[in-house]
Amino acid sequence: MNNNDRLQSTRRHFLASNAMSLSSVALAWLLNQDGAFAKSARPELAPQTFTLDAKPPQKPARANAMISLWMQGGPSHLDMFDPKPELQKYDGKTFPGEIKYDNAAQASATVLGSPWKFNKHGQCGTELSELVPHLANVIDDVCLIRSMHTGVNNHGQSIQAMNTGQILAGRPVLGSWLTYALGSETQDLPAYVALIDPGQLPVMGVENWNNGYLPALYQGTVVRPQEPRILNLTPPARIKGEAQTRYLSYLERLNQRHLEQRPGELDLEARIASYKLAAKMQTAAKEALDLSQETAATKRLYGFDDPACKEFGERCLIARRMVERGVRCVQVFTENQRWDNHNNIRSALPAACKKVDQPSAALVADLKQRGLLETTLVHWGGEMGRLPVIQNNAGLEKVGRDHNTYGFSMWLAGGGVRGGMTFGNTDDFGHHAVEDVVNHYDYHATLLHLFGLEPEELTFKQNNRERSLLEGKGRVVHEILS
Amino acid sequence: MICKLPSTRCLKLALTLASVIAVPLAGEEITYERDVRPILKTHCFQCHGEGGKLEGGLDVRLRRLIARGGDSGEAFVAGMPDNSLLLQRILDGDMPPEEVALRPTADEVATIQRWIADGAIASRDEPEDLDPDNYITEEERAFWAFQPVAREQPPTVSAAQRVRTPIDQFIIAKLEANNLPISPDADARTLIRRVYFDLLGLPPAPEEVDAFVNDSSADAYDRMLDRVLNSPHYGERWGRHWLDVAGYADSEGYTEDDPVRPYVYKYRDYVIRAFNDDKPFDQFVIEQLAGDELLTPPFENLTPGEAEKLVATGFLRMAPDGTGVGGVDQNLARNDVMAKTIEIVSTSLLGLTVGCAQCHNHRYDPISHEDYHAIRAIFEPSLDWKNWLAPAKRRVSLYTDADRAKSAEIEAEALKILEARTKKQDEYIEATFQRELAKLEASLREPITTARNTPEKQRTAQQKKLLKEHPSVNVTASSLYLYDKKAADELKKMADEANAIRKTKPKEEFVRAVWEPTGKAPPATFLFHRGDYEQPKQQISPRELTVLTSARTSTLPENDEARPTTGRRLAYAKWLTSGEHPLTARVLVNRVWLNHFGQGLVPTPGDFGTLGVPPTHPELLDWLANEFVASGWSVKQLHRLIMTSTTYRQASLHHDEGDAIDADNLLYWRMPVRRLEAEVLRDTVLAITDELNGKAFGPAVPVMADRVGQFVIGQENLNAGRPGAIVPMKGEDLRRSIYIEARRSRPLSIMEPFDLPRMEPNCTSRNASTVSPQSLLLMNSEFVLERASQFAQRVQRDAGGDVSMQVTRAWQLAFAATPSDDELAEAISFLDEQTKHFAAHPLSATKDKQKVEPADEALASFCHALLSSNRFLYID
Repeated sequence: MNNNDRLQSTRRHFLASNAMSLSSVALAWLLNQDGAFAKSARPELAPQTFTLDAKPPQKPARANAMISLWMQGGPSHLDMFDPKPELQKYDGKTFPGEIKYDNAAQASATVLGSPWKFNKHGQCGTELSELVPHLANVIDDVCLIRSMHTGVNNHGQSIQAMNTGQILAGRPVLGSWLTYALGSETQDLPAYVALIDPGQLPVMGVENWNNGYLPALYQGTVVRPQEPRILNLTPPARIKGEAQTRYLSYLERLNQRHLEQRPGELDLEARIASYKLAAKMQTAAKEALDLSQETAATKRLYGFDDPACKEFGERCLIARRMVERGVRCVQVFTENQRWDNHNNIRSALPAACKKVDQPSAALVADLKQRGLLETTLVHWGGEMGRLPVIQNNAGLEKVGRDHNTYGFSMWLAGGGVRGGMTFGNTDDFGHHAVEDVVNHYDYHATLLHLFGLEPEELTFKQNNRERSLLEGKGRVVHEILS
Repeated sequence: MICKLPSTRCLKLALTLASVIAVPLAGEEITYERDVRPILKTHCFQCHGEGGKLEGGLDVRLRRLIARGGDSGEAFVAGMPDNSLLLQRILDGDMPPEEVALRPTADEVATIQRWIADGAIASRDEPEDLDPDNYITEEERAFWAFQPVAREQPPTVSAAQRVRTPIDQFIIAKLEANNLPISPDADARTLIRRVYFDLLGLPPAPEEVDAFVNDSSADAYDRMLDRVLNSPHYGERWGRHWLDVAGYADSEGYTEDDPVRPYVYKYRDYVIRAFNDDKPFDQFVIEQLAGDELLTPPFENLTPGEAEKLVATGFLRMAPDGTGVGGVDQNLARNDVMAKTIEIVSTSLLGLTVGCAQCHNHRYDPISHEDYHAIRAIFEPSLDWKNWLAPAKRRVSLYTDADRAKSAEIEAEALKILEARTKKQDEYIEATFQRELAKLEASLREPITTARNTPEKQRTAQQKKLLKEHPSVNVTASSLYLYDKKAADELKKMADEANAIRKTKPKEEFVRAVWEPTGKAPPATFLFHRGDYEQPKQQISPRELTVLTSARTSTLPENDEARPTTGRRLAYAKWLTSGEHPLTARVLVNRVWLNHFGQGLVPTPGDFGTLGVPPTHPELLDWLANEFVASGWSVKQLHRLIMTSTTYRQASLHHDEGDAIDADNLLYWRMPVRRLEAEVLRDTVLAITDELNGKAFGPAVPVMADRVGQFVIGQENLNAGRPGAIVPMKGEDLRRSIYIEARRSRPLSIMEPFDLPRMEPNCTSRNASTVSPQSLLLMNSEFVLERASQFAQRVQRDAGGDVSMQVTRAWQLAFAATPSDDELAEAISFLDEQTKHFAAHPLSATKDKQKVEPADEALASFCHALLSSNRFLYID
């Protein structure tokens, strides 16, 4: 084979002869392939191409999308999800066992019974406290895990454990793995979306949606709590709409004139097409973020008429709209340390619950009524729970609870998880998970299983090493699968 | 298992290129050496001959060995393919074994069949006593890239009037053979823009364009070229090309930590200076491979010239290096550094994928497993995995004896303060403890005090329990701040004071370098079975690849007695740059050509081997290589040679004839159109807005994650992992991209979509993709919009208030051209409509921002369109 023949069998030529007769959809698909118009492939580069095209799972899947409601700071399982009669009995007395404290100066060994009442709810009869009345309404669709454990008593590491499967920093987060493995069902919207709070960024900042060693394509795209909600995807308000349309049409005119003088220059044609595709993505994103299309009833469901939860409700609703349109993974974050109740737990915890309880429950109910819950996995939880003893023993209103990563609660709904059940238990005081412990490895192994992914086959080669999310650890918690 | 991974990579690479082996034409005689052996080498050698393995007792590395056959008897019967096991096992799908992904193609199988049918011929007698592992056939030796560089005479051509340099003779001759004319010269504006971007990566100023366009003297182009070649920005552009090949990064990579590499910038600066000074490239190569061997150890009280030679060896420190990070498998990581260093050296200077022979003989090229380790032996004394230095240790101090004395004096002063601080701290802890104690019931105080004052190990269970029940009495140096902030602040102030004094020490700078320990026998290099360092076999001496070895090759010393070091690298570097080496000069001129034309004469600049693409113009390649060596390895001279040619100066327009005959323009019937690279795009935008900070050299400008995870220029200022207050960058953020930190894990978000290479470990050729994230970035990113606004302000400053003057000025700045009447009219009409639109939607002035006039906003929108247009993004 001579040299010319070899080079002429490149994709470039395929495009040269076919691109103009392709449908615009096909062209868009081609444009989305990184490097579709790049120079001919060269062996020593042989760059792996990475795309966001939808890819089949490795085995039958139960879930195809995930919404994670991330409650950073450590929601107090003892006051919301995990009733403990012993705790109430010992209220105000010295804790009879050993405690692992994080803050010694404010530590005490005095037990703090939960100030809130627990009741049974739903057909399943799961006990929940009065702080989460809306969750109680959907509890038959929820699997409450009461035996979570990461064992690293500070926020950063425990967040990494729950978000990347590993305690060490810098690993790709779950959302990056899912989009790397499965791509996205839509090419008009980002594959993986992080909805951040208008307050502060979560702890660990951008690490929460970082692709780590995976290609940057799989990084989460931040949807900001105000316009422009997506950077680069939508223009600033000032030029949005008419002004941008005129700019684009002038740009098109410039480019067409330029091309007319350079007929046959394929890269130039490709770029003109890519501007059109980009403009289309803008519209798709705008549409996805436009909540005015929702009915009054839906908005009410998400708590739009209650100022305490309206903002979080908006983001939960955006999450549903994203998943509906084919986005693979959405995370909704509360602001920094919203749940980190070292003190003033009696006032701070009810406020935090008020913010998220109704929207979170609404999301489950709404997904269910639209038939999306079956394939959408909803996660609600943080990186830790709290201790059974008082921190900051400076008066009834001022008391709080210190960190506890040895035993805490979180819940899952949909996507192949069994509703109306609780799983696992902590000890009599809720300090340590003691029964059916689910650690961060098990949690991720279970999620990958639900998405039809084999933990050891989902790998990425970095510096000649096959990297994986679990690195050989974790078990699928089959007991909670439906 | 890990050691096996490189071979998986080789396999994948092979899979994508499985069809490259030539198919013999009908009627052609098929021989073992030329036609069959390459197929068996790729698919069979590994289990049937190499590495001492003879599966089924069969060795297929020579015809006579196949004829002898294995356990199942003879492997072929000449003339009878149907009775030949070799073929039948392949046809049945038994061989290669099922689990091997790479399968012989139908053409390959047909070739074997025909070979047997035609009598299973070998071209010549096969060696009887040679080690077949290192047997290289004449056919392999005859491969073009392994031949000495030929002295080529430029051919004569019909279109002699178009010939400016001998390059044109080579190019036009081939064009004429294909009935294609070379294109007419590009116009002056196109040319000056091409030259500026090509040599500087920056646009020409409109005044420079005008001066050149209006200069009708015969040598106007040559003078312009000289002027541009002398610009200090030239080194920043061409140094960048070399940094790609060297795999430059400001961080270690390898692990997620991706630690920053302090002082590596000195190597970047060295490269830029070398290009600016037109340092002879042979010297440049020698310094990078063996700068330390040009000096006499110990490296103390170094002069700037000596330090520079050490800085140059930073080239051998470019590979990702995880050996300084905890939790890393040290032996694996060390050997990986060696492997990646060999990959960088071989792809940059040899243009060969030597790395494919790390675990077994190269499946395509005649590079044996032994060859690989012979190359490794060259670097073993300086990168000795048994006596390893982590990155933080592998550096040379530039501290002088005087600096050291001064520093000791200052340290003594600081220690005085710190001693006083420790005393104070003890007092505060005791006082706090007493206060906490006082809060407890009186009866507890004494037992708690006793418990606390008892050393931890001697405490009774009772005492331990007591302390546990009252955690607040556990006051320590690290928890003091939780009780007594004032005390903690005072202690901190004292510590700060000591630190401030320490900061007055003369700054100790380091050079990131390699060197060999002296006074020690050099470490032995062993052949690693399957590339596994835990399976060392025979010892291997340093030498050049066998196939490149000729009578003229200088042998490499094992340990040069005349030198304090082994002299291996120095000897190797001198051989590479001797002018006799078949590859070095070819590889280098090809790379220069590539960066002028967007494609190489060898289109695979990092692979001149069997899997690469052979040169489109082999005679020109050799002629250039000879000229380059003859000019004293002057890169600037090479630029002049290429850039004064008609080939380079021709127009870039397509025509049907050319597209029909040579759509890929491999014959150079037109100048290829090229897109701006990531760095050039950013630099150019800043130049056009007149914001570019031209400051050269020094530590990299840092990159950080912003609040949404984009990587932006800025000083990281984290608070609990989140970005804190923004640290003012004082114009550093407006410096050329080559000075921006290239942290492997933090590719700058405004450059990454434009094919910024990932250095794993290096980049021998960049992509130029066209994808929608690029468009979104140009349409909507804060960076581009802010530049558009700055561009508009500059245009107003330069051109005043007149709209057509503004349009013309913007056009000149962005395109190095003046708008036509139509273009001007269109632009004005656009500005008019945009102005009306913004006037109808007035923007209220905020207290931070001045009120913007609708016309200003319209002008910014116009400038934005220019900055996102193809005319701006592409060079004709």
